[in-house]
Amino acid sequence: MSYKIPMGPYHPALEEPYKLDLICEGETVQDAKLHIGFNFRGIEHLAETRNYIQVIALMERVCGICSNIHTLTLCTAMEGLTGVVAPPRAQYIRTIMAELERLHSHVLWAGIAAKLMGFKTMFMTCFELREKVMDVLQAISGNRVNYSMNRVGGVNRDIEDPASILKMVEALELEMARTVIPIFTTSRTATSRCAGIGVLTTEKALSCGVVGPVARASGLPQDLRKAAPYAAYAEMEFDVPVQPAGDVRARLLVRALEIMESCKILRQALAKLPPGELFAGDGKFDFTKLITTASTARVEAPRGEVMYSVSWKEGSRNPARVHVRTPTFAVMPAIRWMVIGARLADTPLIQASIDPCYSCTDR
Amino acid sequence: MTPTMTVITMTVIHGIPKKLGIAHSWVEEGGVHWLAPGSVTVRELATLMNDLHARFITITAYQLPADRGFRLEYHWDLDGQLLGFPYQFQEKNFDSIYDLCEAVDWIEREIHEGFGIDFLGREYEPLLLRQGDTPGVNLRDAVVAGSNAVAANQEKK
Repeated sequence: MSYKIPMGPYHPALEEPYKLDLICEGETVQDAKLHIGFNFRGIEHLAETRNYIQVIALMERVCGICSNIHTLTLCTAMEGLTGVVAPPRAQYIRTIMAELERLHSHVLWAGIAAKLMGFKTMFMTCFELREKVMDVLQAISGNRVNYSMNRVGGVNRDIEDPASILKMVEALELEMARTVIPIFTTSRTATSRCAGIGVLTTEKALSCGVVGPVARASGLPQDLRKAAPYAAYAEMEFDVPVQPAGDVRARLLVRALEIMESCKILRQALAKLPPGELFAGDGKFDFTKLITTASTARVEAPRGEVMYSVSWKEGSRNPARVHVRTPTFAVMPAIRWMVIGARLADTPLIQASIDPCYSCTDR
Repeated sequence: MTPTMTVITMTVIHGIPKKLGIAHSWVEEGGVHWLAPGSVTVRELATLMNDLHARFITITAYQLPADRGFRLEYHWDLDGQLLGFPYQFQEKNFDSIYDLCEAVDWIEREIHEGFGIDFLGREYEPLLLRQGDTPGVNLRDAVVAGSNAVAANQEKK
């Protein structure tokens, strides 16, 4: 006899509210239905009531983890409307911020995954490491969550002493290589809880249109930093880790390897940070001189592709429409296919393995 | 992406209008390769995108001023190139491509809930957006006066 187990919207295994209705036969999940919308704030609609400065602050609040990525994508789209190009130093600073954000997001996720595996020491280690990344972000921006770094045509703040930031990054990289990476890649606890669990095949990943580390852990080598480079990524040398297995362990490995690639990018960007201005022109968004009325930008966030479509009526102070496609919105429906056939006890870890952000998804 | 891959991808992209029987060519604007689909249905388009192994990204919905209806912009990614296909219509329904492309599920549901557009040929799960619990929560009252969804919203208020 099958029975339904509702998980959420408020549940100890979920970091944010969403609902998973699991149809089980004994301890095995036969099917699942997902419900979102518990964080719906109508941000896209609100954006139409904000001017070109306010809308950046608003969209920074779509997500508490990858706030910088949202303003980077929005500002890139708005630059497309006016034809403004951010100067090289700003492009490098944007790259540095984006990679630091990826680092702290991946380490945060590693901590949560460790907790769900029953590996609490590792959870504490990850959160201690994440604090060090947050210290770097705070040293650059003065903030821990909403960094307010991006503006149309460039960035708001400089990295005045790249050498000191470089030292912090090197210390981080050492710690990651010494503790986090070996434990996640070789420990029996991690392997036994993650290998062969929550498999998303390459074919299913393709048909679901999943993005980011989840796609790369299912054998799809897609990464916008390589495929459609933005900021200063075209000048960086790095690899895109891909794993074919499609299980929770593959997602763990991809993110662990991406941590090392992020450190590699950070070292290059900090070493090559070019001199120059932080923003183009007077830094204002001239909404009376648009070269096009609609622009789209895509960025590889820690969880995958973020896309902003911005349309602006010439002469208007506010955008006519801001549409945000977040990575979790694309990845989350695939949870259904990951949990079918899994043990009920594994579902919290499986749903967490996509590193979901419900706040982003609901907007 | 290597320069060779870019050339191959661009060759494939330039072949799309011919495959769809469209005489005009792509227009690159605002970071997107745009192709006006003309009489090509969204289902024919989705079939071709599947054949080319393009990755579906999203649909951006616009409510147009006065009684001009809606515009849906379908986006696919082909090896890092962003493709856009705009469809404009006045009715409050449009063909679903859910049976051809399962990645479209949530965005069709979101547009149904936000703009009250019915995607034909599919069923809807319970609402994604909890606010209002009525299809059409994002519709601007002044723009679509007389719309059933708006009327329902106003009754609730």
